[in-house]
Amino acid sequence: MAKLTIDGKEIEVADGTRLFDACTLARGEALPHFCYHPDLSVAGVCRLCQVEVEGMPKLTIACNTTVRDGMVVHTKNERVRKAAQQVLEMHLINHPVDCPICDQAGECGLQNQYMEYGLYDSEVEEADKVNKKKAQVIGPQVILDKERCVLCSRCVRFCNEVTGTGELGIYNRGDRAEIGTAPGIELDNNYSLNTVDICPVGALTSRDFRFQKRVWMLKSTESICTGCATGCNVRIDHEAGRIYRLKPRRNAEVNGAWMCDKGRMTYKGVHDEKRLLSPAAGGERLTWADAGQKLAAIAGAGVGLYVGSAHQTLEELWLLRRAAAGAPVSGGLANADRGQADALLLDADRTPNRAGLSLLGVGEDEPAQLAERIRKAQGAVVILGGDPAAEPAVAEALGGRTVVYVGTHRNATAQLATLALPGATWAEKAGIMVNRQGRLQELRQAVARAGDAREDWRILAELPAVRGDAPASLRALRQAAGADLGLDLTNLPASGLAPAGAAAPKTGGDA
Amino acid sequence: MSPNDYRMLSARFGRNDGHKLAVYEAEGGYRALRTVLSGMKPVDVREQVKAAGLRGRGGAGFPTGVKWGFVPEGADQVYFFVNADESEPGTFKDRYLLDYDPHQTIEGTIISSYAVRSNLAFIYIRGEFGWLVDRVQKAVDEAYAAGYLGKNILGSGYDLEMIVHKGAGAYICGEETGLINSVAGRKGQPSIKPPFPAVSGFLGKPTIINNVESVASVPFIINDGVEAYRRNGTEKSPGTKLFSVSGPVKRPGVYEIPLGLPFRDFFNDWLGGMVEGEKLKAVIVGGSSVPVLPAEEIMNCNLDYESLGQAGTMLGSGGMIIIPESSDMVELIQVLMHFYFDESCGQCTPCREGTGWLHKIVKRLRKGEGTPEDLALIEHVCAGMAGLTICPLADAAVMPMRSFLAKFRPEFEALIQETAPAGPQSRWPRGEREN
Repeated sequence: MAKLTIDGKEIEVADGTRLFDACTLARGEALPHFCYHPDLSVAGVCRLCQVEVEGMPKLTIACNTTVRDGMVVHTKNERVRKAAQQVLEMHLINHPVDCPICDQAGECGLQNQYMEYGLYDSEVEEADKVNKKKAQVIGPQVILDKERCVLCSRCVRFCNEVTGTGELGIYNRGDRAEIGTAPGIELDNNYSLNTVDICPVGALTSRDFRFQKRVWMLKSTESICTGCATGCNVRIDHEAGRIYRLKPRRNAEVNGAWMCDKGRMTYKGVHDEKRLLSPAAGGERLTWADAGQKLAAIAGAGVGLYVGSAHQTLEELWLLRRAAAGAPVSGGLANADRGQADALLLDADRTPNRAGLSLLGVGEDEPAQLAERIRKAQGAVVILGGDPAAEPAVAEALGGRTVVYVGTHRNATAQLATLALPGATWAEKAGIMVNRQGRLQELRQAVARAGDAREDWRILAELPAVRGDAPASLRALRQAAGADLGLDLTNLPASGLAPAGAAAPKTGGDA
Repeated sequence: MSPNDYRMLSARFGRNDGHKLAVYEAEGGYRALRTVLSGMKPVDVREQVKAAGLRGRGGAGFPTGVKWGFVPEGADQVYFFVNADESEPGTFKDRYLLDYDPHQTIEGTIISSYAVRSNLAFIYIRGEFGWLVDRVQKAVDEAYAAGYLGKNILGSGYDLEMIVHKGAGAYICGEETGLINSVAGRKGQPSIKPPFPAVSGFLGKPTIINNVESVASVPFIINDGVEAYRRNGTEKSPGTKLFSVSGPVKRPGVYEIPLGLPFRDFFNDWLGGMVEGEKLKAVIVGGSSVPVLPAEEIMNCNLDYESLGQAGTMLGSGGMIIIPESSDMVELIQVLMHFYFDESCGQCTPCREGTGWLHKIVKRLRKGEGTPEDLALIEHVCAGMAGLTICPLADAAVMPMRSFLAKFRPEFEALIQETAPAGPQSRWPRGEREN
């Protein structure tokens, strides 16, 4: 352990701690910085985090300094503030200050640091700022504005160190230096939008989010990505019922500071025009009252098979199992929603909760198996989520049967359902997903449910086996499921609940 | 004292056969290497060079033997680099060493590599010195053929490979870590320290980088010993040093002088004073990056690290630029500011933006578009650069800028008060040179 004094405050940190991080601890906020990033190597180029260490003649950058026992550090005195101000001024002299048309405005490092350390009268008399290329498409997801760039090199280091793809480089030198790609090369990897996240200014912006919304209008909901079994921690940025973007939230145990581009685009499904927005039977829209009666009638006549899906939450699947009351339950199709994995975060399993099915002991079926089980089933088939009828064998088996489907989109299963009931998408409900490590993580509701969509568990609560003793709230449902599973589901840790022996994370930044 | 009294480093300068192995050997060449390899341990060599007090000749003046001692004991692989990226404006001494006497540097390099237990040495030659690459490569080939390089050198069991590497022409690659990055195939720009190259340099291994003149000084120290080396120079600046002198003096060129030599004597007796019709105005004594001294100040200095340090400048690389009264100091600083603006690698913000900004302000002044506030602005920009960057390039730009302004302020003020300079007329009409 090293004991040091920062701004008169004594703190003790582990040996080998970066002075930058020790300062964050002591100050309660990070030093001004652009180039430092905890999940990347140290570049030491923005020169903003300079602090005064007693006994050292020059100011030193905290990001490349390791703490020493007895260090006395000043981060707020006149000399340090002046240096930060001077460096900031240098950062701004060739900056175009085009904030009104910049997507980064409102969450921009330059704007924030200027409010904190700048506020000087501009000394810049030069009419001829260095002009560089603006709005250059450098890949399918990312657009580059070279004038706004502060050359912190975070994006370059990300592509070198995290993805190992190395598309970006800094070309030329002096104040002509600029980020770029080699001729014929595009910033085209499944993690390219992370460069936009870590860009402290408006140099790299997302083509998807560009000009869609001023960022200060957005509200954020902390949730998890449902695009695959990794369960990257995300922030859903939304306004007035509409989602505008997903951003990764740092969880060293799961996704480090990153998430993949595929995962980011999953929000589009929430606002898809093929959403199932009201109950329907035989192509006719129903009110929930009518639909409820129809459901009661079908269920009353007997259900022969319940089919869940790895897309549903742990609570929903637990309730489905309870609703079955001993009748056969399938976890859905084992072969559905599989794809190519990559070496970083994207899992081959493109469902968020297959591990949840395992936790409940509900097995999945191959298409032929499921078709066989449907054929054998006496009575109706209740399907929760997924799209089993996308498999021809299953669709054939379901033909002519009484099928209740709870789902979010007008897919093949919804088409052949006797009664189709609109469930809530992942962004419209809360719940728990179990990722590939076996880690239980919370999904949180960001936006209001579209149309007449209802939380899936409330729909399941209408089934006869549950109806008499339906949970009053999601919390009550969690308590009941938790008691049954021997887990405290009502109080998950911020980084998720990892059962003993969970697989080590594939990526964890500097965890 | 005259130039011919001091020929430790420059014995073969000016001759057309000094670069040949046979000539070098006939004049005692590779004797030091034999001495080292027939009984001296690496630590003995380090101690001898440390005792001689040899200070790095690239500019910083850091004791060479001490630097060698920074390599961690027991390192499995150590690299040795000779820095021949001589690109400090006004400096052309290493070029002479390699051109006229490449074997002296090669022998010094072999001994220095042995001292730090390196088995692979690079000579990094400035890209613009194309002919030198050939000259040095030929000498290296000769040394291999004679058994001074390669496996089991002179039967000692010591192996050393030597690679002559040509830079691509960037001032910043003369900085140690920039040089390492350049050889490693990365963009030639400095790395943050720590780690220092002596601990983690080329390919992450301990790496020592020495200036050409530093390693060329080593054979003499081995052959003639510490006492002989210390016979010249001062207590803290022992030995001789090469100065490359440019400007309108009667005898410009490369001189080997005993450190501590009064500038006045060097100027009057060795250089022969100014050419007819010119008067000494100022001197940049150690390459363009050191503060300029007006004639009356430099005349009281001795040419050694301490005396020049006390006078507020630095001995630097020994690239001495003589400035005559007829020179326009603002024009000169514009040339220099263009140089640093052009050569900044662009990595650290204060340097990247500051060098460009200073250049613009000085350009504006010379166009007659300056304002009285501009001189304070220059100070302001300098304050935002000095000491705030990874490598000293920002300081290298700030030191001449500040000193030109401090010592020759009236010439700057005259540009602001009138549209024409009150001082000497420039050889180039203002605004025509796009520097």
